[in-house]
Amino acid sequence: MEGKGVTRRQFIKYAGATAALLGLSQSLVPEIARALEELTSGKPPVLWIQGQNCTGCSVSFLNTNFPNAAELVLDKLSVRYHPTVMAAAGDLAFGVLEETAKELAGKYVLVVEGPIPTAEDGEFCTFGLEKETASFNGYQRRKDKPMTVWMEELVPGAAAVIALGNCASFGGIPAANASVTGTKPAQEIVKEISKDKPVINIGGCPSHPDWFVGTVLDYLINKRVPELDKHNRPKAFFGKLIHENCERRASFDAGLFLEDWNDNNPDFKLCLFKMGCKGPVTYADCPTRRWNSGVNWCVGANAPCHGCAEPTFYKELSPLYEPLPNVNFLGINTTAETLGWVAAGATAVGIGAHYLYKQLGKKAPEGGEE
Amino acid sequence: MAQLISIDPVTRIEGHLRIDVEVEDGKVKDAWSSGTMFRGIEMLLKGKHPFDAQQVTERICGVCPLVHGTAASYNLDDALGVELPDNARLIRNLCLGANFIQSHILHFYHLAALDYVDVAAVVNYSGTNPALKAIKGKVAGLVKAGDVYPFLPRYESDDYVSDPEIATILVGHYVEALEMRKKAQEMLSIFYGRMPSFVGTVPGGVTVQPTVSNIAAFRARLAELRFWIDNVYVQDILTVAGVPAYQIFFTAGDSGGNYLAYGGFDEDSKGTVKFLPRGYITGNDVASVKEFDENKITESVKHSWYTDECEGLHPKEGKTEPEVGKDGAYSFLKAPRYDGKAMEVGPMARMLVLAGLELSGKISQDKQKLMPLVKALGLDAKVMELATAGKFGILPRHAMRALECKLIADQMEVWLDELKPGEKIYDKKDIPDDSYGRGLVEGPRGALGHWIHIKGKKIDNYQAIVPTTWNAAPRDKEGNRGPIETALLGLPVPDAENPINVVRCVRSFDPCLACAIHVIHPEHNGVKSFRVV
Repeated sequence: MEGKGVTRRQFIKYAGATAALLGLSQSLVPEIARALEELTSGKPPVLWIQGQNCTGCSVSFLNTNFPNAAELVLDKLSVRYHPTVMAAAGDLAFGVLEETAKELAGKYVLVVEGPIPTAEDGEFCTFGLEKETASFNGYQRRKDKPMTVWMEELVPGAAAVIALGNCASFGGIPAANASVTGTKPAQEIVKEISKDKPVINIGGCPSHPDWFVGTVLDYLINKRVPELDKHNRPKAFFGKLIHENCERRASFDAGLFLEDWNDNNPDFKLCLFKMGCKGPVTYADCPTRRWNSGVNWCVGANAPCHGCAEPTFYKELSPLYEPLPNVNFLGINTTAETLGWVAAGATAVGIGAHYLYKQLGKKAPEGGEE
Repeated sequence: MAQLISIDPVTRIEGHLRIDVEVEDGKVKDAWSSGTMFRGIEMLLKGKHPFDAQQVTERICGVCPLVHGTAASYNLDDALGVELPDNARLIRNLCLGANFIQSHILHFYHLAALDYVDVAAVVNYSGTNPALKAIKGKVAGLVKAGDVYPFLPRYESDDYVSDPEIATILVGHYVEALEMRKKAQEMLSIFYGRMPSFVGTVPGGVTVQPTVSNIAAFRARLAELRFWIDNVYVQDILTVAGVPAYQIFFTAGDSGGNYLAYGGFDEDSKGTVKFLPRGYITGNDVASVKEFDENKITESVKHSWYTDECEGLHPKEGKTEPEVGKDGAYSFLKAPRYDGKAMEVGPMARMLVLAGLELSGKISQDKQKLMPLVKALGLDAKVMELATAGKFGILPRHAMRALECKLIADQMEVWLDELKPGEKIYDKKDIPDDSYGRGLVEGPRGALGHWIHIKGKKIDNYQAIVPTTWNAAPRDKEGNRGPIETALLGLPVPDAENPINVVRCVRSFDPCLACAIHVIHPEHNGVKSFRVV
């Protein structure tokens, strides 16, 4: 450890940050420090492959702070394959996938970014080359290798599969075109290949770097899959309703809504409900964790939450800038037009707001809190 | 004897790209560029609320969501008849600028630099600089553990920068650059909420009002980034460009001499004046920049996996019916052409258009920005030499990206000064029953166009033509190659096992394949036939 220039003190500091990241008590710091020390000897191999992705979750991953991307990629993990990061290309690159699958079976973590198209033998997403050839401009040219085939080769030897982002976890935006491309989320494909292989879904469009890094550290430190909700998401990050924890809930209670972006209230940051906020139906810890090193988050920028961490994003949450329809308050179906009155009235008669949002939660696509 | 070398995946780009080159006598004789992933995003917009377009099209790409969201906002503004308040225009410029900074830094250090720097040379560093010793310690640790991923394996070549001190400095900057690009995204999130997938621009304006405190928070980060761009990024480009073995890359990798820029960063509310000007160049005739006419854009699909019915249409009427395995086709990218010609787009196109207008006196001396910077860096003789030779290759592409980054970062200070706290940021307009819109902008990778047709207050059709579709396009109906295919011709490939120059050239374009292949026409979304190759 000393050879790497890391002091005991740095480890404790580091462990403190990790505990905060995972939402754990600081009393666990010594234990985490010990586990992190162990990690530096023999880094766990990671294979990170991309299906119908947009690389947004990789870019988001680079925004990680505790640890930062350089520390993770160089000191904590052995990132053998990541198409956006690795030096190698072509045969050298996908050769690493083939070698790792063979030599480190049962040891590597497989990260899948983007869902997998299955129509037409997987031709809608390919990378790497088959040994077989087809004729091309007078040459025998090696065929493209479909993502579906890579899954068949890499899933059986994976210690666990992490589906990163809403697309890999639930199909996301590419799944809206599934009738053409036969797109499936990672967990469906994994189930067909190795029935009992653990799959961890980390939703979000994009996923928050802490959700991914926290899950990986949790997995490595505790050597078990973290506690998951029924969508196979880590409860630590997807267990709370955004609306319940929103910094603007006082405005919701008071019936103070933003209706024009030129609006300004000297005392209150206005609630975004009427601008289409999906916070009342979205389970994620954005209000407390915030984004981009804690600089801001969607509601903090006076914009509605679009519900991007929900399995139902995007299709079922559209229209994004229209209020959620028919919100159920105290058994009364209410629309945005009467909401201010209901919210203010409810507060006035002393009904706990918590109860109200439980009512809302019933209308929600089922999240981590059941 | 000629042989075919296939490179798939081309890594350190965004997305799924395959390159095939025919090599004879150690040189590339022919080349094919293939996009190998298809999603089909526009079809899901049909019938949706027009405001959704921006959030959905941002998800075309996680590296350049900013430019799609911005194009969609201008597209919707146009369709709604919005009069954009100055504050909104300036905040859009500032956030787009912040994304240029993050994207250009990411491109040079994390996507391109490993093609030039010998990471293994770092272990030979023998100096006493503590920061460099720490970098050495890190790399030595990896080597000792026998686990040098993700830096190795790599294509081997004898022309990597292997001077231990320079290599260590550059690897140190690779690590620093991770923090710098992160800071650029933090800066962006001050006004736009978060990155990637931001929320701060909407049809009609932006969502965050400028205040003394958010302007100060933005300015502090910008100052740090400007210092780094001037003293690290631009200087590192000059260092790499000065390596004797790389001198051939000043002209090698020329894409054929045609360049197109839509113009970027509005300087007035109507968008008629652009900070980076609009225009196009043909035949490498930089001094005569011509006026751009949107109607001259067409898309060819002769060599793309789409039915022949999609051939030769303007994007407004664009059709996208997949036909996997079509004879003679080899890519999911279409081949966009301007006036029948393949065009390079991106930083080189923008800077050459700007240089052309400055050199020909169409931009008056007092308003010039690029040539004075080129002079200050002592590069004017080199630029004139290349202009005379009529060739701009791999190194100019990197250099112009860095110069552009500096020009934009410097201008962002001016835009910050122009913000007026307390004034309007939004122009509320109703959604029309029937209306057309278009948004033409510049993103880090080049010219981007979005087109919309609103009917019955819903989206009836949405189309986009994206920078990498121009650059990584396959051949067109006439058999003319796309810009990357042309740029590869003649490149030296002395060792077929290690085609490093091929990937150096491809990466200099900063390809983004997720952007390039995303289109499917809502009314023609069926797949016609399949003959899987």
